[in-house]
Amino acid sequence: MHSNEAKKATKKHSIEMIFYLYRFSIILLVISLFMPSLNPGRITSLINENMSLFTSGISYSSLISNTLRSINLGWVQGETFKILFIGCMLVCAGVIGAVVGGCTSLGSLKLRRLGNVFAIIGNVISLIGFGTIRAAYSQISMTAYPERVNPEIPIGFYIIMGLIIFILVLSLILLIVQPKPSENDEYELQQKYKLFLLIIPFIALVFVFSYLPLWGWRYAFFDYKAGGTLSKDNYVGFKWFKFLLENKATRNDIVRVLRNTLAMSGLGLATSWCSMAFAILLCEIKQLRIRRFIQTFTTVPNFISWVLVYSFATLIFSSEGIISNIIVARGGIAVNYLLSDQHTWLKMLVWGMWKGIGWSAIVYIAGISGIDQQLYEAATVDGAGRFRKMWHITVPGLLPTYFVLLLLQISGILSNGMEQYLVFENPNNTREIMVLDLYVYKLGIGSGKIPLTTVVGMVKSIVSVTLLLGANKFSKLIRGESLI
Amino acid sequence: MIKIFKRKSDKKEYYVSSAPKYKTTLGDVIFNILNYTFFIVFTIACIFPFYYLLINTISDNDLVRKGAITFIPKGIHFKNYISLKSVGDLMQSFKVTVARTVIGTGLMVGASGLVGFLVTKQEMWGRSFWYRFIIITMYFNAGLVPWYLNMAMLGLTDNFLGYIIPGIVAPYNIILVKTYIESIPAELEESAYIDGASYFKVFLKIIWPLSKPILATIAIFGAVGNWNSFQDSLIIMQNDASLYTLQHRLYMYLNQTTNIGQVMKSANTKLSASTQAALLNAKTIKYTISMVTVIPILLVYPFMQRYFEKGIMLGAVKG
Repeated sequence: MHSNEAKKATKKHSIEMIFYLYRFSIILLVISLFMPSLNPGRITSLINENMSLFTSGISYSSLISNTLRSINLGWVQGETFKILFIGCMLVCAGVIGAVVGGCTSLGSLKLRRLGNVFAIIGNVISLIGFGTIRAAYSQISMTAYPERVNPEIPIGFYIIMGLIIFILVLSLILLIVQPKPSENDEYELQQKYKLFLLIIPFIALVFVFSYLPLWGWRYAFFDYKAGGTLSKDNYVGFKWFKFLLENKATRNDIVRVLRNTLAMSGLGLATSWCSMAFAILLCEIKQLRIRRFIQTFTTVPNFISWVLVYSFATLIFSSEGIISNIIVARGGIAVNYLLSDQHTWLKMLVWGMWKGIGWSAIVYIAGISGIDQQLYEAATVDGAGRFRKMWHITVPGLLPTYFVLLLLQISGILSNGMEQYLVFENPNNTREIMVLDLYVYKLGIGSGKIPLTTVVGMVKSIVSVTLLLGANKFSKLIRGESLI
Repeated sequence: MIKIFKRKSDKKEYYVSSAPKYKTTLGDVIFNILNYTFFIVFTIACIFPFYYLLINTISDNDLVRKGAITFIPKGIHFKNYISLKSVGDLMQSFKVTVARTVIGTGLMVGASGLVGFLVTKQEMWGRSFWYRFIIITMYFNAGLVPWYLNMAMLGLTDNFLGYIIPGIVAPYNIILVKTYIESIPAELEESAYIDGASYFKVFLKIIWPLSKPILATIAIFGAVGNWNSFQDSLIIMQNDASLYTLQHRLYMYLNQTTNIGQVMKSANTKLSASTQAALLNAKTIKYTISMVTVIPILLVYPFMQRYFEKGIMLGAVKG
């Protein structure tokens, strides 16, 4: 009797272990869908090597994007890619079944068994998909130009198929060894898992768009050119890191760009008190209507894009702008102030303030209305004038907010964004206006220097996170409260 | 219960000082004059570009070209706005921008509401871990180039979905919604659970209606962000001009005319009539497009303003 129960317990335990393995394999399977290096559909080198199985299975147009020329030349048949697309789609569709199986494995016995059935069906569909891909391969391998088309069964084909067969076997085992559900067993899922399953799609999105790009950091260690591949042959280790420091031209660029970045962020930091002053002065206007009016119109610029700001700038400062118009009307010559290379940093600061000060003052205005009015009344009774009240009550009341915002601003010192500088950039001021974000964009997206800009982006991200953590620690030390 | 709750969240007007009167000194007067002058000048600096843009688009095109328009519109007409219809890809860009604003904002608001609700549920498996997993992405990113390569890998470059899908989960908005939902009395939900309602039902029937103020806030901010979007169009839609957003198109027009201007300067020759007409056309076109892109912002602005402080103050409360 006793040993029987113990046996049951060990059996239950081993079933749980199989389930852990089962879920883990399903997670691996889902991740491998997004790995271009594991794409089983890449049966020829004509297919873009940066494409994952997931993309191959949902977007026919991206699948064939690089192959149109070879289809037209008759190297390969267009039909082959249709077959391939169907195969990839079937594999992807089958994975959905496996995912359902994985999710329901958190539920009651009856639900688990249903999930197993789903997983089995899904895996069979995936295997049919693999057969279809294999068929496409045998068609493509008959090409008359093997040296151009390079038909090959990719390694991912075997890895993912192996994974799917493994999951299929596990599902079958689980279906057999699990006890039959009793009559009154129901499909049910514990609350905690129900909530978890509801949030999973969003976690997946966050993973794909915020964590998966980190995987792209590997480009920093390869001699990669757009459209090329990552392999042992072009692995270069820390070459690009060294290049950044040792190549004279690049080093000069980086120094200049860093100087611009730090200068403009520094100017921003040095004038960050302005929005607090703006708020305090605005609140000194006692007519509510006028104050509302001013607040309304000074906040509008924050909500227009930098492109529109540039449109305004041409409207006012270019050779066809109002200033030039007035000069011309008085007999002068039109001047395009936007093309000048003088005081670029200062101009950018002024544009930034014009756009942002009304908006950034709002948090301080809200802060002022939160200050205890009794303080002011007491000060008045004590004979304090307007300025002393501002200086001794309002300013100290706002300082904590200012401090938090300042620390956050310091941690963002390397990220000034690129839109403002992109729209205002021209051949004359490009040396002074080029900030880190814009530099990465121009060099990486514009000129295709992917490894180098990945290195720059990597260093920037690491420095920013370090600064943020430092600011957080500092804030904890001084205020006893964390920032993030 | 609901009514009481709503009354609680009513907006407070600014406090108007009712302190005892004190003598107005000379310093006060000077300060007031300077203060008012500063704000008047700054407010004009904020309004004037909008006004000047408007009068440039509705004044007589010849006068605009000659630079005769300074402060007052002359020869008012609206032909420029009508002629925009015939400007090449503009309608296409307009459609794309409207579509991404509507779809992108809708999905973002729905997702923020649902996720914000889910992360308030203490009983969720691994709740605090998953919440941090989402929120921490606000503070780091892999960098522009890896992000772009990732989008390319997912097939979202030159694809309309590239505007929509990455924006669905917005961590900051999730914090805002979560903070707001936490301020809703828990009894409301609990009674519904006792009556046998599911999480989803509670979300739809109780949480969603009660969170409307905060959802409206993030909707408006999201819509403005989508409408103003320019960077993603520039980066991921390089090969498909039919997917450019309105701001991207405007940027191109602005650059185009600068270039023509530079050519004119360097060549220093008389331009043929057709080139001049093209130049003139480009000039009025770019200002009219500017006006068209700014009008929707000005239209939603009064609604936005109501939510400013609410949004900002909630944002100050950390997640």
